[in-house]
Amino acid sequence: MGTIIWTTIGAILTLSVYSFLYKDNPFYKFAEHLVVGISAGYYLVIYYYNFIDPNVVTPVFQLRLGDQAIGFGSGAWWLALIPGLLGLLLYTRFFPKVAWVARWSLGIYVGGYAGLGLSPVMQARVIEQIGANALPLTSVTNVLIVVGLLGTLAYFFFSMKHKGILGVFARTGIVFLMVGFGASFGYTVMSRISLLIGRVSFLLHDWLHLV
Amino acid sequence: MNVFEKMLSIDRRWIFLAIGIAVIVPFFFPLGLPVVVTPPVESLYDAVDEIHPNDAPLLLSIDYAPATLPELEPMAMAILRHAFEKDVNVVVMTLHPAGYGLAERAMLDAAEEMGQEYGTDYCFLGFQPGTSAVILGMGVNIATVFPEDAYGTPLAEIPMMEGVRNYDDIPLVISLAGWSAAEAWVYYAYQPFGQAVGAGVTAVMATDFYPYLSSNQLVGLLGGMRGAAEYEMKIDNPDKGVQGMDSQSIIHIMIIILIVAGNIAYFGARRRKKLEEAEAA
Amino acid sequence: MKRTWLTFLTAVLMTVLMTVAAVAQEAAPVVDADTPLEDVPLDTVAPAAPGALTARDYLDSNDAGDKIELDWELSPDDGEGSCDVAAYHVWRSRSASSPGEIVAEVSSGQTHYLDQDLEPGAEYFYSVTAFDGTNESAPVVCAPVAGRVNLFQWSRISILALMIVFFGLVLVFTKLAERGDDLFVRRIPGLNAIEEAVGRATEMGRPVLYVPGIGEIDNIMTIASLTILSHVAKITARYETPLIVPTARAVVMSAAEEVVKQAYTEVGQPDAYNPDNIRYLSDAQFAFAGAVNGIMLREKPAANLYMGAFWAESLLLAETGFEAGAIQVAGTAMVSQLPFFVTACDFTLMGEELYAASAYLSREPKLLGGLKGSDWMKVVTIALMALGAVLNFMGFETFVNWFQTQ
Repeated sequence: MGTIIWTTIGAILTLSVYSFLYKDNPFYKFAEHLVVGISAGYYLVIYYYNFIDPNVVTPVFQLRLGDQAIGFGSGAWWLALIPGLLGLLLYTRFFPKVAWVARWSLGIYVGGYAGLGLSPVMQARVIEQIGANALPLTSVTNVLIVVGLLGTLAYFFFSMKHKGILGVFARTGIVFLMVGFGASFGYTVMSRISLLIGRVSFLLHDWLHLV
Repeated sequence: MNVFEKMLSIDRRWIFLAIGIAVIVPFFFPLGLPVVVTPPVESLYDAVDEIHPNDAPLLLSIDYAPATLPELEPMAMAILRHAFEKDVNVVVMTLHPAGYGLAERAMLDAAEEMGQEYGTDYCFLGFQPGTSAVILGMGVNIATVFPEDAYGTPLAEIPMMEGVRNYDDIPLVISLAGWSAAEAWVYYAYQPFGQAVGAGVTAVMATDFYPYLSSNQLVGLLGGMRGAAEYEMKIDNPDKGVQGMDSQSIIHIMIIILIVAGNIAYFGARRRKKLEEAEAA
Repeated sequence: MKRTWLTFLTAVLMTVLMTVAAVAQEAAPVVDADTPLEDVPLDTVAPAAPGALTARDYLDSNDAGDKIELDWELSPDDGEGSCDVAAYHVWRSRSASSPGEIVAEVSSGQTHYLDQDLEPGAEYFYSVTAFDGTNESAPVVCAPVAGRVNLFQWSRISILALMIVFFGLVLVFTKLAERGDDLFVRRIPGLNAIEEAVGRATEMGRPVLYVPGIGEIDNIMTIASLTILSHVAKITARYETPLIVPTARAVVMSAAEEVVKQAYTEVGQPDAYNPDNIRYLSDAQFAFAGAVNGIMLREKPAANLYMGAFWAESLLLAETGFEAGAIQVAGTAMVSQLPFFVTACDFTLMGEELYAASAYLSREPKLLGGLKGSDWMKVVTIALMALGAVLNFMGFETFVNWFQTQ
């Protein structure tokens, strides 16, 4: 019985959202606002219980982490307290006079994540790709990859005018870019249709049990 | 207004309606169009298939949110069914706050269907925010990032997690994501730790992931509902992915026809306008 | 020296102790109570101990000092002799006085074990015994060993090298730009398109719409967009064409106000600036898109410029603009949205072109340095790939392997 109620609510909301295709209306607006409100509440609960509680509240207030009690005396609690306090500083944004304090936390956050990301991203997106694309021109595929790569890089080279050989490469690059955009456009259409199929399947199968 | 101009100014709601009908009809009259398995799917399937039963677990990171559910949930179900069928242990986790309930649902559904037991065959670590820091931390010690599973049991007390400390004890990670989480697994698990990573992503993102396949940074890739359908064919268990493929194919044909028609109308209207201008001059 | 002796003595003592223990165990063999005694011939002889054991720090550049590698020689009873060794037991202890605990059982015929997850720098005592299923041989011991942390991972030197090259290039070009050197950046064709679009709006006497995306102010695309907005505002100020800037973020709105006001003042048209045209609409993505579409249909701008970070609202905006018949120029580095802008707009600044346009217009040293640095990094990349391809073709694969860091 419970399932029927929940699927029916889901179905009504789905239909409310699709009603936008005809034109904007109060049903669509209601569904949209409901999503925004519910997700805010849901995220708050998930973040609290999965993150703030085990990583800040528990270790700082001497509850338990795993099964191992961490007390104020063990030296580990302040490791949780410092980031917790830095996090709280972000709320100074609400008070214009001291809003600048939030920059400390933001600075540490941005700096930390940039540092974490720098080496792996360089490795994954540049260095490994150099190795994978140092291809001898021995097959049609290799020729296509190399020409496409050179052309695209040439197109995004800003230190010289696109004339002569660079111009030829840049124009080739544009062709490859457009083919790439076409492919991702096609994939996007596929994605969006999949979402529609998923909803239709929900309506016909889970809700109405027609198929 | 001539025929070309009429075509160009058609009320788009007619197109919406036609697409709606074309999606619904195959549900009642399935065509059973063939689904051919492509190499990226094949290699992900093989990677799961090669994991030893009842030993080091597959780590399945279910990183999707409701918005990409229809594309990614069939993948999760197919991979879980495959792993459970082979008695491969599975650790499920999520990097997306909204993925918590979805990951849990897919895991429990598949486990119930395949008669698997929590704690010995599979377990759920839950959610931790901070994507890159989480992935990097797990490379050193999973228990520091997830001290307990999602239900509060310390990892040390979960039988299947015995001897599972970090990526050295995990033969394969698969991330199913509609955002950059799948890429983060490449950056922060494959690059620093050499962890084998596979991905299942939405079709929108699929093109961005092909470069990682050719450089072996990914062991395999499922792209969109089509990827899920192919995996379902591999495990001989056609479900929502395969079911959607008929509608998908019909819509694609329809869209190709619309694009061609649109172009004919556009160039036709332009030519006519030029002719009229020439006559006027 | 003293320590070596101590270790040696301990080892001898341990061997004696364990032999005694083994003999004692032999005297009272444990037999499963359920097994009928007459069916199983009792094995009371322990296999011979394995040969010399060596333990050393695991020599891998990726090693954090938490692994120790063990090698021993086969027991004379393994595969030959009494041929009854079933496995080897690896014992680990933190002190020389006790054998510690069994950390691994390695099957017979094997002479190698890698012990992991140890405390870096701590001393461990290892011993190995041969085991026939019932009896444990005398242990073979070795000198204590500690894992050493490798500070540098040599297999990843290529990352460091390329990072130094890249950051070096960026720093050098930034310094040159600060010094006032004339760094050449080609004019981006999209900028001409923007100027033409604004010109056309002026001719038609209709406003220009500039959407700076829905990114926050800390998004680099939003920042690049504000530089371009300043350029556009100068043109509209000169032509006295109304400029409408709808925003989705409060902070972006105040920044946009500043930028536009400043631009109008710079070209000597401070009175033409209309603060009502810089609008905050909504933080919600689709509500914002809906509101901008409303502006397009009601106020009928003749030129729509979309510059900055866009997500799924891109096509909703660009399509409505197309239907309204406006000239449209877009610019974004959101790769997933580029296809939509390319199809629905007259001109699109793709990816890095957005940043290049912003550097070209502002001549800001940091932006110029970054742009020039990444430009020459592209040349370095191409050169490395070409060299790699040639060397690979000739059979020297080492060079390319250098870039495969995993």
